[in-house]
Amino acid sequence: MATKIHPLMFAVLFAATFMSYPASAHDPVFGLGPHTLYKGGVELHAGGHSEKSGNASEKEAELQFKYGLTSDWVIGVGVPYEFGDDEGSHRGSTSLSTKYRFWRQDRFAVQESMALLGRVIFDNGEEQAGVERNGNDYLLGITYGYEGRKWYRWASVRHRFNAETSTGMQRPDVWLVDFVGGIRFSPTEYHEPDWVWMLELNGELIENVTQGLGSVKKQLGGNQWFLSPGLMWTHRNFAFKAGVQLPLIDDLSADQEQDDYRAKIELEWHL
Amino acid sequence: MRQCLFIAALLMLSFMAQAAERRYELYVDGMACPYCAYGIEKKIKAIDGVDKSSVEIKLNDGLVIFEADTPEPMDQASLKTLINDSGFTLRQFQVQPSTLKQE
Repeated sequence: MATKIHPLMFAVLFAATFMSYPASAHDPVFGLGPHTLYKGGVELHAGGHSEKSGNASEKEAELQFKYGLTSDWVIGVGVPYEFGDDEGSHRGSTSLSTKYRFWRQDRFAVQESMALLGRVIFDNGEEQAGVERNGNDYLLGITYGYEGRKWYRWASVRHRFNAETSTGMQRPDVWLVDFVGGIRFSPTEYHEPDWVWMLELNGELIENVTQGLGSVKKQLGGNQWFLSPGLMWTHRNFAFKAGVQLPLIDDLSADQEQDDYRAKIELEWHL
Repeated sequence: MRQCLFIAALLMLSFMAQAAERRYELYVDGMACPYCAYGIEKKIKAIDGVDKSSVEIKLNDGLVIFEADTPEPMDQASLKTLINDSGFTLRQFQVQPSTLKQE
Protein backbone atom coordinates (compact mmCIF):
# COMPACT_ATOMS: atom_id res chain seq x y z
CA MET A 1 0.00 0.00 0.00
CA ALA A 2 1.37 3.34 -0.98
CA THR A 3 2.01 5.84 1.80
CA LYS A 4 -0.26 8.85 1.42
CA ILE A 5 1.71 12.06 1.41
CA HIS A 6 0.05 15.33 2.32
CA PRO A 7 1.35 18.21 0.17
CA LEU A 8 2.13 20.16 3.30
CA MET A 9 4.20 17.30 4.55
CA PHE A 10 7.11 18.23 2.35
CA ALA A 11 7.10 21.82 3.51
CA VAL A 12 6.98 20.68 7.12
CA LEU A 13 9.71 18.12 6.66
CA PHE A 14 11.81 20.62 4.84
CA ALA A 15 11.43 23.20 7.57
CA ALA A 16 12.13 20.65 10.29
CA THR A 17 15.19 19.50 8.42
CA PHE A 18 16.83 22.83 7.81
CA MET A 19 15.67 25.23 10.48
CA SER A 20 16.87 25.54 14.07
CA TYR A 21 20.55 25.85 13.37
CA PRO A 22 22.46 27.33 16.26
CA ALA A 23 24.12 30.66 15.76
CA SER A 24 25.59 32.31 18.75
CA ALA A 25 27.41 35.33 20.01
CA HIS A 26 30.15 36.72 17.78
CA ASP A 27 29.65 34.04 15.14
CA PRO A 28 28.29 34.24 11.58
CA VAL A 29 24.53 34.63 11.11
CA PHE A 30 23.95 31.38 9.19
CA GLY A 31 27.26 29.59 9.60
CA LEU A 32 28.97 28.34 12.71
CA GLY A 33 31.82 29.97 14.60
CA PRO A 34 33.97 28.85 17.54
CA HIS A 35 32.89 31.59 19.93
CA THR A 36 32.09 30.49 23.48
CA LEU A 37 31.09 32.32 26.65
CA TYR A 38 33.29 33.35 29.55
CA LYS A 39 33.27 31.02 32.55
CA GLY A 40 30.04 31.42 34.50
CA GLY A 41 28.59 33.63 31.78
CA VAL A 42 24.94 33.54 30.80
CA GLU A 43 23.61 34.28 27.34
CA LEU A 44 19.99 35.05 26.56
CA HIS A 45 19.22 34.76 22.89
CA ALA A 46 16.05 35.58 20.97
CA GLY A 47 15.96 34.91 17.27
CA GLY A 48 13.56 35.08 14.36
CA HIS A 49 13.83 33.09 11.15
CA SER A 50 11.74 33.47 8.03
CA GLU A 51 11.91 31.55 4.79
CA LYS A 52 9.96 31.42 1.58
CA SER A 53 9.87 28.54 -0.84
CA GLY A 54 7.44 28.95 -3.73
CA ASN A 55 4.01 29.56 -2.24
CA ALA A 56 4.99 28.16 1.13
CA SER A 57 6.49 30.29 3.84
CA GLU A 58 7.65 29.51 7.35
CA LYS A 59 8.46 31.70 10.28
CA GLU A 60 10.13 30.62 13.46
CA ALA A 61 11.10 32.36 16.68
CA GLU A 62 13.49 30.79 19.13
CA LEU A 63 14.58 31.51 22.67
CA GLN A 64 17.91 30.13 23.77
CA PHE A 65 19.65 30.09 27.10
CA LYS A 66 23.37 29.36 27.25
CA TYR A 67 25.82 28.95 30.09
CA GLY A 68 29.61 29.00 30.09
CA LEU A 69 30.87 26.00 32.05
CA THR A 70 34.40 27.15 31.33
CA SER A 71 35.71 29.79 28.97
CA ASP A 72 35.98 27.07 26.33
CA TRP A 73 32.85 25.04 26.96
CA VAL A 74 29.29 26.27 26.64
CA ILE A 75 25.97 24.44 26.96
CA GLY A 76 22.54 25.66 25.93
CA VAL A 77 18.88 24.91 25.56
CA GLY A 78 16.62 26.30 22.83
CA VAL A 79 12.86 26.40 22.50
CA PRO A 80 11.45 27.46 19.12
CA TYR A 81 7.98 28.56 18.23
CA GLU A 82 6.82 28.10 14.65
CA PHE A 83 4.32 30.17 12.70
CA GLY A 84 2.91 28.46 9.63
CA ASP A 85 0.61 29.79 6.92
CA ASP A 86 -1.84 26.90 7.01
CA GLU A 87 -0.91 24.98 10.11
CA GLY A 88 -1.25 27.75 12.63
CA SER A 89 1.29 28.40 15.36
CA HIS A 90 2.78 25.80 17.60
CA ARG A 91 5.78 25.04 19.74
CA GLY A 92 8.75 23.61 17.86
CA SER A 93 11.25 21.01 18.95
CA THR A 94 13.35 21.69 22.02
CA SER A 95 17.08 21.37 21.53
CA LEU A 96 20.13 20.94 23.74
CA SER A 97 23.48 22.09 22.44
CA THR A 98 27.10 22.17 23.49
CA LYS A 99 30.21 23.70 22.01
CA TYR A 100 33.76 23.02 23.07
CA ARG A 101 36.65 25.18 21.93
CA PHE A 102 39.53 22.74 21.78
CA TRP A 103 42.17 25.07 20.34
CA ARG A 104 42.82 28.74 20.87
CA GLN A 105 45.71 30.92 19.75
CA ASP A 106 45.76 34.45 21.15
CA ARG A 107 47.95 37.19 19.79
CA PHE A 108 47.83 40.95 20.07
CA ALA A 109 44.26 41.90 19.01
CA VAL A 110 43.78 38.57 17.24
CA GLN A 111 42.12 35.37 18.32
CA GLU A 112 42.15 32.17 16.31
CA SER A 113 40.29 29.14 17.55
CA MET A 114 38.58 25.89 16.66
CA ALA A 115 35.58 24.28 18.27
CA LEU A 116 33.37 21.22 18.14
CA LEU A 117 29.62 21.48 18.25
CA GLY A 118 26.97 18.95 19.22
CA ARG A 119 23.22 19.42 19.22
CA VAL A 120 20.21 17.23 19.87
CA ILE A 121 16.85 18.33 18.49
CA PHE A 122 14.26 16.44 20.47
CA ASP A 123 11.24 14.81 19.00
CA ASN A 124 8.84 16.83 21.12
CA GLY A 125 7.49 19.44 18.72
CA GLU A 126 3.81 19.46 17.98
CA GLU A 127 2.55 17.30 15.18
CA GLN A 128 1.99 18.99 11.83
CA ALA A 129 -0.13 17.79 8.93
CA GLY A 130 -0.18 14.31 10.39
CA VAL A 131 3.60 14.15 10.30
CA GLU A 132 5.84 13.75 13.27
CA ARG A 133 9.36 12.57 13.64
CA ASN A 134 10.14 9.17 14.97
CA GLY A 135 13.17 10.07 17.06
CA ASN A 136 15.62 12.88 17.65
CA ASP A 137 17.75 14.71 15.11
CA TYR A 138 21.44 15.23 15.79
CA LEU A 139 23.87 17.87 14.61
CA LEU A 140 27.65 17.57 14.80
CA GLY A 141 30.07 20.19 13.57
CA ILE A 142 33.57 21.56 13.60
CA THR A 143 34.54 25.18 13.04
CA TYR A 144 37.55 27.45 12.69
CA GLY A 145 37.48 31.18 13.31
CA TYR A 146 39.87 34.12 12.98
CA GLU A 147 38.92 37.34 14.72
CA GLY A 148 41.01 40.44 14.29
CA ARG A 149 40.40 44.13 14.86
CA LYS A 150 39.63 44.52 11.18
CA TRP A 151 39.21 41.17 9.46
CA TYR A 152 37.18 38.11 10.31
CA ARG A 153 37.04 34.71 8.69
CA TRP A 154 35.29 31.51 9.58
CA ALA A 155 34.92 28.05 8.08
CA SER A 156 32.73 25.25 9.33
CA VAL A 157 31.34 21.85 8.46
CA ARG A 158 28.27 20.34 10.09
CA HIS A 159 26.36 17.17 9.57
CA ARG A 160 22.73 16.81 10.52
CA PHE A 161 21.44 13.29 11.11
CA ASN A 162 17.69 13.37 10.60
CA ALA A 163 15.39 10.77 12.08
CA GLU A 164 12.74 9.27 9.85
CA THR A 165 9.09 10.22 10.20
CA SER A 166 6.56 8.33 12.27
CA THR A 167 5.10 7.05 9.00
CA GLY A 168 8.44 5.47 8.16
CA MET A 169 9.56 7.94 5.52
CA GLN A 170 13.22 8.77 5.39
CA ARG A 171 14.29 12.36 5.93
CA PRO A 172 17.55 13.19 4.18
CA ASP A 173 20.70 13.86 6.20
CA VAL A 174 22.44 17.10 5.36
CA TRP A 175 26.03 18.32 5.18
CA LEU A 176 26.40 22.03 5.79
CA VAL A 177 29.52 23.84 4.65
CA ASP A 178 30.17 27.51 5.40
CA PHE A 179 32.84 29.99 4.41
CA VAL A 180 32.50 33.45 5.88
CA GLY A 181 34.43 36.70 5.69
CA GLY A 182 33.86 39.77 7.80
CA ILE A 183 35.20 43.28 8.12
CA ARG A 184 35.08 45.95 10.76
CA PHE A 185 35.65 49.18 8.86
CA SER A 186 36.28 51.24 11.96
CA PRO A 187 38.23 49.76 14.90
CA THR A 188 35.94 51.03 17.62
CA GLU A 189 36.82 51.03 21.29
CA TYR A 190 35.15 49.04 24.05
CA HIS A 191 32.31 51.37 24.95
CA GLU A 192 31.45 52.33 21.39
CA PRO A 193 28.85 50.63 19.21
CA ASP A 194 30.62 48.13 16.99
CA TRP A 195 29.72 47.05 13.44
CA VAL A 196 30.99 44.00 11.59
CA TRP A 197 29.80 43.31 8.04
CA MET A 198 29.84 39.76 6.78
CA LEU A 199 29.44 37.81 3.58
CA GLU A 200 28.74 34.10 3.86
CA LEU A 201 28.86 31.29 1.34
CA ASN A 202 26.63 28.53 2.69
CA GLY A 203 26.42 25.12 1.08
CA GLU A 204 23.82 22.46 1.79
CA LEU A 205 24.57 18.99 0.51
CA ILE A 206 21.40 16.99 0.95
CA GLU A 207 21.36 13.22 0.89
CA ASN A 208 19.41 11.74 -2.01
CA VAL A 209 16.42 9.78 -0.75
CA THR A 210 13.16 8.48 -2.12
CA GLN A 211 10.00 9.07 -0.15
CA GLY A 212 6.73 7.26 -0.64
CA LEU A 213 5.82 4.59 -3.17
CA GLY A 214 4.25 4.29 -6.62
CA SER A 215 2.63 7.38 -8.05
CA VAL A 216 3.34 9.43 -4.92
CA LYS A 217 7.04 8.64 -4.90
CA LYS A 218 9.21 11.69 -4.32
CA GLN A 219 12.88 12.21 -5.02
CA LEU A 220 14.58 14.47 -2.50
CA GLY A 221 18.15 15.64 -2.14
CA GLY A 222 20.82 17.50 -4.05
CA ASN A 223 23.07 20.46 -3.46
CA GLN A 224 22.38 24.13 -3.06
CA TRP A 225 24.60 27.11 -2.32
CA PHE A 226 23.61 30.45 -0.86
CA LEU A 227 25.24 33.84 -0.71
CA SER A 228 24.38 35.57 2.54
CA PRO A 229 25.16 39.17 3.40
CA GLY A 230 24.81 39.95 7.07
CA LEU A 231 25.82 42.30 9.83
CA MET A 232 26.58 42.17 13.49
CA TRP A 233 26.06 45.17 15.73
CA THR A 234 27.20 45.06 19.31
CA HIS A 235 27.34 47.44 22.20
CA ARG A 236 29.15 46.17 25.28
CA ASN A 237 27.11 43.09 26.30
CA PHE A 238 24.27 43.44 23.81
CA ALA A 239 24.32 42.13 20.24
CA PHE A 240 22.10 42.32 17.20
CA LYS A 241 22.66 40.19 14.12
CA ALA A 242 20.77 40.00 10.86
CA GLY A 243 21.26 38.39 7.49
CA VAL A 244 19.56 37.23 4.32
CA GLN A 245 20.37 33.97 2.58
CA LEU A 246 19.93 34.15 -1.19
CA PRO A 247 20.12 31.10 -3.50
CA LEU A 248 23.19 31.14 -5.68
CA ILE A 249 23.28 27.80 -7.49
CA ASP A 250 21.57 24.48 -6.95
CA ASP A 251 21.46 20.97 -8.25
CA LEU A 252 18.38 19.62 -6.54
CA SER A 253 16.28 16.54 -7.17
CA ALA A 254 12.95 17.06 -8.89
CA ASP A 255 10.85 17.12 -5.74
CA GLN A 256 13.28 18.88 -3.46
CA GLU A 257 11.95 22.25 -2.38
CA GLN A 258 14.07 25.19 -3.48
CA ASP A 259 14.25 28.24 -1.24
CA ASP A 260 13.56 31.71 -2.56
CA TYR A 261 15.22 33.25 0.47
CA ARG A 262 15.80 32.87 4.16
CA ALA A 263 16.19 35.71 6.63
CA LYS A 264 17.34 35.76 10.20
CA ILE A 265 17.36 38.30 13.02
CA GLU A 266 18.94 37.66 16.40
CA LEU A 267 19.25 39.53 19.66
CA GLU A 268 21.66 38.48 22.36
CA TRP A 269 22.41 39.62 25.85
CA HIS A 270 25.39 38.50 27.92
CA LEU A 271 24.85 38.55 31.67
CA MET B 1 48.10 73.83 66.77
CA ARG B 2 50.94 72.85 64.41
CA GLN B 3 51.30 69.56 66.24
CA CYS B 4 47.61 68.86 65.76
CA LEU B 5 47.85 69.54 62.04
CA PHE B 6 50.93 67.36 61.77
CA ILE B 7 49.19 64.48 63.55
CA ALA B 8 46.11 64.88 61.35
CA ALA B 9 48.28 64.78 58.24
CA LEU B 10 50.05 61.68 59.50
CA LEU B 11 46.71 60.02 60.19
CA MET B 12 45.52 60.82 56.68
CA LEU B 13 48.68 59.46 55.13
CA SER B 14 48.43 56.39 57.31
CA PHE B 15 44.84 55.82 56.20
CA MET B 16 45.82 56.14 52.53
CA ALA B 17 48.65 53.68 53.01
CA GLN B 18 46.32 51.15 54.62
CA ALA B 19 43.94 51.46 51.67
CA ALA B 20 46.77 50.08 49.53
CA GLU B 21 44.92 50.89 46.33
CA ARG B 22 46.84 49.60 43.38
CA ARG B 23 46.56 50.19 39.68
CA TYR B 24 46.80 47.14 37.47
CA GLU B 25 47.69 47.26 33.83
CA LEU B 26 47.11 43.96 32.06
CA TYR B 27 48.35 43.33 28.54
CA VAL B 28 45.86 40.85 27.13
CA ASP B 29 46.19 38.88 23.92
CA GLY B 30 43.19 37.85 21.84
CA MET B 31 41.00 40.89 22.47
CA ALA B 32 39.54 41.49 19.04
CA CYS B 33 35.94 42.48 19.69
CA PRO B 34 34.20 44.54 22.36
CA TYR B 35 31.33 42.10 22.77
CA CYS B 36 33.72 39.28 23.65
CA ALA B 37 35.72 41.48 26.02
CA TYR B 38 32.67 42.01 28.22
CA GLY B 39 33.65 38.86 30.13
CA ILE B 40 36.82 40.61 31.31
CA GLU B 41 34.87 43.58 32.64
CA LYS B 42 32.44 41.29 34.41
CA LYS B 43 35.15 39.13 35.98
CA ILE B 44 37.17 42.10 37.21
CA LYS B 45 34.16 43.87 38.68
CA ALA B 46 33.31 40.72 40.63
CA ILE B 47 36.57 40.91 42.59
CA ASP B 48 36.26 42.28 46.12
CA GLY B 49 37.99 45.62 46.46
CA VAL B 50 37.96 46.58 42.81
CA ASP B 51 36.92 50.15 42.08
CA LYS B 52 34.24 49.40 39.49
CA SER B 53 34.45 52.84 37.94
CA SER B 54 38.15 52.38 37.27
CA VAL B 55 37.81 49.40 34.93
CA GLU B 56 38.93 50.41 31.49
CA ILE B 57 39.38 48.24 28.41
CA LYS B 58 41.47 49.60 25.55
CA LEU B 59 40.93 47.21 22.69
CA ASN B 60 43.24 48.93 20.25
CA ASP B 61 46.09 48.75 22.77
CA GLY B 62 45.26 45.26 24.07
CA LEU B 63 45.19 46.78 27.53
CA VAL B 64 42.96 46.34 30.58
CA ILE B 65 43.30 48.78 33.47
CA PHE B 66 41.69 48.74 36.89
CA GLU B 67 42.30 49.80 40.45
CA ALA B 68 41.80 47.56 43.42
CA ASP B 69 42.04 47.93 47.15
CA THR B 70 43.11 44.51 48.36
CA PRO B 71 45.20 43.54 51.42
CA GLU B 72 47.78 41.89 49.16
CA PRO B 73 48.50 42.62 45.54
CA MET B 74 46.96 40.14 43.11
CA ASP B 75 49.61 37.77 41.84
CA GLN B 76 50.35 36.56 38.34
CA ALA B 77 48.58 33.22 38.81
CA SER B 78 45.28 34.77 39.90
CA LEU B 79 45.38 37.38 37.13
CA LYS B 80 46.21 34.73 34.56
CA THR B 81 43.26 32.61 35.71
CA LEU B 82 40.97 35.62 35.65
CA ILE B 83 41.87 36.47 32.07
CA ASN B 84 41.80 32.84 30.95
CA ASP B 85 38.32 32.38 32.47
CA SER B 86 37.26 35.38 30.41
CA GLY B 87 38.46 33.63 27.26
CA PHE B 88 41.76 35.41 26.64
CA THR B 89 45.48 35.19 27.44
CA LEU B 90 47.42 37.38 29.84
CA ARG B 91 50.74 38.32 28.24
CA GLN B 92 52.15 40.55 30.97
CA PHE B 93 51.05 42.97 33.66
CA GLN B 94 52.19 45.83 35.84
CA VAL B 95 51.09 46.78 39.33
CA GLN B 96 51.76 50.16 40.83
CA PRO B 97 50.33 52.29 43.60
CA SER B 98 47.24 54.05 42.49
CA THR B 99 47.97 57.63 41.54
CA LEU B 100 44.46 58.84 40.99
CA LYS B 101 43.28 58.39 44.59
CA GLN B 102 46.41 59.92 46.12
CA GLU B 103 46.36 63.10 44.09
